[in-house]
This record gives sequence, structure tokens and C-alpha cells, in this order.
Amino acid sequence: MAALTEKLEGMDVWVYHGQINIPNTYSAGAVGSRFLIELRDNKRIMGTRCPKCNLVYVPARSVCRDCFGQLSEWVEVSNKGTLLSHAIARQPTPVQPVPPPIIYGIIQLDGADTGIVHMLGEVDPTQLKVGMRVKAVFKTKKQRVASILDIKYFKPLRTK
Amino acid sequence: MAHRTAIVGVGQTHHASRRKDVSLAEMVGEAVRAALADAQLNVKDIDAFIFSNMEAFEGILLPDHGMIAEVGAVGKPGFKVTGGGTTGSEAVGEGCHMISSGLYDVVMVVSWQKHDCGDATAGISAAAVPTFAKGLVTGAVSEFAKQALSYMKDSGAREEHAAMIRLKADRGACRNPYSHLKIGLTSVDEVLKSPYLVWPIRLYDFCPQSSGACVVILASEKSAKKMHQKPVWVADFEVVHQEPFRAGSFGDPTGTETYSQHVACERLYKRNGITDVRKQVDLAEIYEPSTWEEISLYEHLYFCEKNEGWKLVERGATEIEGEFPVNCSGGVLATNPIGATPVLRIAESALQIRGDAGEHQATRDIKSAVATALGGPNWTALFLLKRSL
Amino acid sequence: MAQASPQKQPEQPEYISIKYDLPRPYHWSTGKYLGKLYAEAKENKKLVADRCPKCKELHLHAPTPVCPKCKVDMGWDWAEMPLTGTVFQYTYQVYPLFDPHLGKVFADPHPPAIILLDNGVYMRHRLEETDTKKLKEGMRVQAVWEEDYERRGQGFQDILYFRKIEE
Repeated sequence: MAALTEKLEGMDVWVYHGQINIPNTYSAGAVGSRFLIELRDNKRIMGTRCPKCNLVYVPARSVCRDCFGQLSEWVEVSNKGTLLSHAIARQPTPVQPVPPPIIYGIIQLDGADTGIVHMLGEVDPTQLKVGMRVKAVFKTKKQRVASILDIKYFKPLRTK
Repeated sequence: MAHRTAIVGVGQTHHASRRKDVSLAEMVGEAVRAALADAQLNVKDIDAFIFSNMEAFEGILLPDHGMIAEVGAVGKPGFKVTGGGTTGSEAVGEGCHMISSGLYDVVMVVSWQKHDCGDATAGISAAAVPTFAKGLVTGAVSEFAKQALSYMKDSGAREEHAAMIRLKADRGACRNPYSHLKIGLTSVDEVLKSPYLVWPIRLYDFCPQSSGACVVILASEKSAKKMHQKPVWVADFEVVHQEPFRAGSFGDPTGTETYSQHVACERLYKRNGITDVRKQVDLAEIYEPSTWEEISLYEHLYFCEKNEGWKLVERGATEIEGEFPVNCSGGVLATNPIGATPVLRIAESALQIRGDAGEHQATRDIKSAVATALGGPNWTALFLLKRSL
Repeated sequence: MAQASPQKQPEQPEYISIKYDLPRPYHWSTGKYLGKLYAEAKENKKLVADRCPKCKELHLHAPTPVCPKCKVDMGWDWAEMPLTGTVFQYTYQVYPLFDPHLGKVFADPHPPAIILLDNGVYMRHRLEETDTKKLKEGMRVQAVWEEDYERRGQGFQDILYFRKIEE
């Protein structure tokens, strides 16, 4: 059971460098699974609707945040939407889905009442503007695995 | 306590090894709705929420962040408790503190563990302080193995006694619709055939890792009187922490370590005038990660004299029909979602006092109960619940 | 109306589970007191513990600035431990369990044990003997050190295990 310990300069103090690795499995649940399966199989983005508050949640959720009602009505939302905000990550960290620089955006898809966080691509960072229209770009069928990353990124809608 | 606290609703999920059909938030939501239904309350009636969960085991930091909507806590005060095996009890204790201070009237304690997300043994091994304990701790099992060896040597108990505890737990679990492990054991021999994990702990001597949630709703005396359910009063509680520095965590082989159980019991029993637990209290729901630990806890919680625990087992005193039923629900040996397990002990005791435990209701009339929790390294939480104060 | 927890999990064609492994690096400092144990082990192949000025108890696991019993400052009073003792208790792993430090399922072949050192202090460590039939409570053992200076500096792990003393 080797570990790396390092003595600090000039004092009898040691630092123990180690690592914990616990394997994890997260269950998407019935609602989450359906959302992801629709991305993989049908390239469709689905949300759940609260009939009382008339709100559509994307990604799909099982509970309405406002009235605590349980949601069972599924609706398809558009794959086009409006960019609400954006930020660029330039520093590498171990948990990034792609190498930096990564442009993150919050997008409100047409038909949804929530924003979804995803990446932006095929766009010049200097041209980013809050309010611009964007569209989802999906991965190929072979690349899609029922993950939020089955959407490759959102790209600007060119209006001619 | 300044304001008296009562349990006015309990709810739990059907505990299982894997709950792939629900996300973490949804699983907890099931228990929340069950508790609200039991109390006949609307989620809007809850003033504050306390979350109880051991984080390392799901591998997600701050898992409560993703379930605020599912629990109905949006916009409400919330607090998180993480304390090892005693997490749930400490959370309920916090709820009692809040109510007795007069700060809130109705508090919901939400506890859960979704073990299918991670690996609890790995998580517990990772709790070993790396600079001096790494490599010397193999999860909880090896610690309880040491405890079992010490107990066998000192008291003369045999492996058959541990097997009898498993039979009792399984009988209770088979009568409890919510329990996880329902094996259907019929004889001591069946238990003695199960393989060793860390000698002398066998597979059947140890608790499982369950995925489940348990929710308890606490209310002040003023609010409890207006509610649907018969209140179960939290008469008193103690939480004692410990850091053993000699050799054993749970069974001190050196004979010189202070047991947090003794400290907690001495204080709580004295305050409540309890000198003979089996006569003055009607039932116990104790936190026993292994069969051997249950026998040893009978002694450490002063249910009987030292080295006499196995004699109580032999004459069936702690069975559902016995003179002092312990763990009618199947206990931790049948169901163990770690963050929720202590809350299950409190919830099961409350059901027994209300007479609502269905098929696993104790034969005697239960007016008072002791609910305990055990955490590493040997922390104790002790609750005294009563039908009337 | 509340949704009851299902007694049996509902059947659905497919449930998605997301598997991920996130190794978490950490850097723990021994501090001054445990650091002394590390230093003595590395430089001199000695095992030391500090003594409480009030109750006189020795702290091996682990040397600490505050006495857990008396709650007073320990000061700087160190004693060398004998490296021989008797096996007080041992156990052995049969079923391999996941070891988060290695990132895999593992069963340590060396049995963990509690050793009563000759000065009355209890120590937790491993035994060299991997054949469980040859283990016995009460057997005399002695510490086996890592002889390579460069590989020492791991504190308690500088002792590889305790070996049976042949009579």
C-alpha cells in the first residue's frame, strides 16, 4: 500500500499525498431516463409540464418547484432557443467534458420555462450576445449514449 | 426542555438494494410524501427542514442541493447534519433543539442513503485518517470483527447466540413491509453455514447496504395537540461523541476505554429516574451493525449485567413476544440506509408506541421506548420516547 | 394525494445509470506531534509515543497535542516503544472488499492484529504470517522494519508487519 509522503523543509512535519477513489453510479430514475432516452433515440428534447402553474421544466423533473405537484405530462420543446447568459472557461480542470476553452451558456428553449446549461460551439466568442438565437447540434446516432452530452453544443442561428 | 417536542408523522420508502427506478431526489420525495400523508399535513405547514445523510457514500457533494424542490423546501430554512452512523439521531436532536427553543413549530427531518450510488465499505475505509490509520482499517466489518472476538472471549457467548440474533431480526423483517432483507431463515444452522467476511463475522452476521429514506415530522406541544396523529413525545435524548485512542473502535480489548454508551445511559437514565431498564421501559430499537454488537449493546445500554447479554438471547427475552422486545422491525441487520437508519429506529419506536406497527407490532403494550444510534468510532445517540409525559 | 413508495419496483424498458469514477486527491499534514513519530521511524527505526503530564498515559495511536482523557496540553515528553510484544487479538479478511486507496477490490493477505507491546501499550498493525492456521493469540512477535531508508517516511507503515519470534 504505497503512498507518497513528503517532508517539509526545516521541520519534522510530513505531508501525506494520497487519493480516494470510490466508484459511483447515479440513477437517473424513470423521469430522468425518459429525458435522456429521447435525446439518444429521437433527438428530441422533452420537458414535463405542471398543469396548475403552467410551467414547463427542461430538463424534465418530477416535481413542480412552486406547488409541489407531481408532474406526469410530457411535452416536446423546440431545439431552438434564446441565449440567456454565457461564460468562457479557460483553465483546465479534471472534470471538463472537452478540453478548454469551453464556452458555457444558459439557454431557454422555445416552449420551456427554465434555462438549460450547455456548451456553445461554432461561434466566435467575441460575437456572443445575450438574447441571440441558438440551435442544438446533436451527435451522430453511434455517438449518442443517453447522456446530456448527446447534444454536442448549441450553435448560433444565422438569420439572413 | 423548554417547549416539549412530539413526533407527529413518520414515513419511509420500501428499502431495497437498488432503486434504479428513481433518482436520488425522487426516492427521498417518496418518504416525504408518506410522512405528510401520515401526519395529514401539507408541505406548506413545515417551518424548517433538516437533512441527514452521509455524503461520501453517494459520491456526490451536497446531495441535498438537488432535492430541495422534491422535498418541498424551496424558500424555507434548511440545515444539514452529517455525523457517521449517528447522523439521523443527531438530526432529530437538532429538530428537537429548534422546537424546544421556540424558533420553529413544525420541523421535518429528511434522512436518506442511496447505497446503489457508491460503496459504503469503501467510503468507511476512506474515513481512516491517512497519516496513521490508512491500510489498517478495512471498512466497518473489520472493526466489528475485533469487537466480536473480544466479546466471545470475555463472556463465553458462542456463534449460536449470534445466529439466534439473526433469526430474530429476519423474523421481524419478514413481517415488516418496508424492510430490505427478507431472507426467510428457519434455523441456526442456516446462519452458521453462511461464509465469513472478516473472521468471525459471517455474511449473515452483518447489516446490508440499503437504498432508502425515512422522514419524521416533529412538532411543538402547541401544534401537536391540533394534529391528526396521536403524538409520540420525545421525553429526552443524549448524543455522546468519542475518539478511542488505544486499540479498538467498538469493543475495547484493553478494557480501559470509555464507552460512549455508558456515558449517554448514565446521564439519561439518571435524569429520568430509570434504574431497571427492562422493567421501566417497554421496548428498544437499537442500532446493531452486527449480531455480536447487538448482544454486547444489551450490556452497554444496561439492559442486563456485563457478560449476560447472550443469556437474554437464549431465553428469547428480546423477541417480538418477549418481555423486552428489541428491534421488532428487523433492525439494522435487515435494513441499513446509513443516513436514515437512526431515524428509522426513532420512527419504528414511534409506530410501536402508537400501536401502528402492523404485523411486527410487539405483543406487550408499548408505552415507552429507547431508540439508539451507533456511529464510528463508537459514538452513541440515545432517545427516550413516551406515549405520555 | 401522496405517492406511496412502490412495494415492487415498476417495470420500465430501460433505466439509465450514469457511472463515474472521480478520484479525489488529498494532502494531509501530520503536524508536529505525529511528525515526530514519522521522523523517529524514518531516521532511527524507532517507534515513539508522547506522555500526558497529568495521567502519564502514552499515546501511540496517534501522538497528539491534547490528551483525550484529561484534555490538557501534552507538552513534549516522548518515550521509545519496545518493538516486541504479544498478539492480543487478530482477525483476517476472507471476502475481498473495495479499497478506495487502491481503487480496486482487495483482500490484504496480512491479518490485521492488535499487539500488546512489552511496555503495556496496545498497537494496531499487521502480522507477517499469511497462513491463518498458524496464527495464535498470545504468540510472541517483533516488528520488521522497511530497511531501505529512501522508502521509509510513511509513519506506521515504515514497519512492514510483525513477525513471529521463533522460540
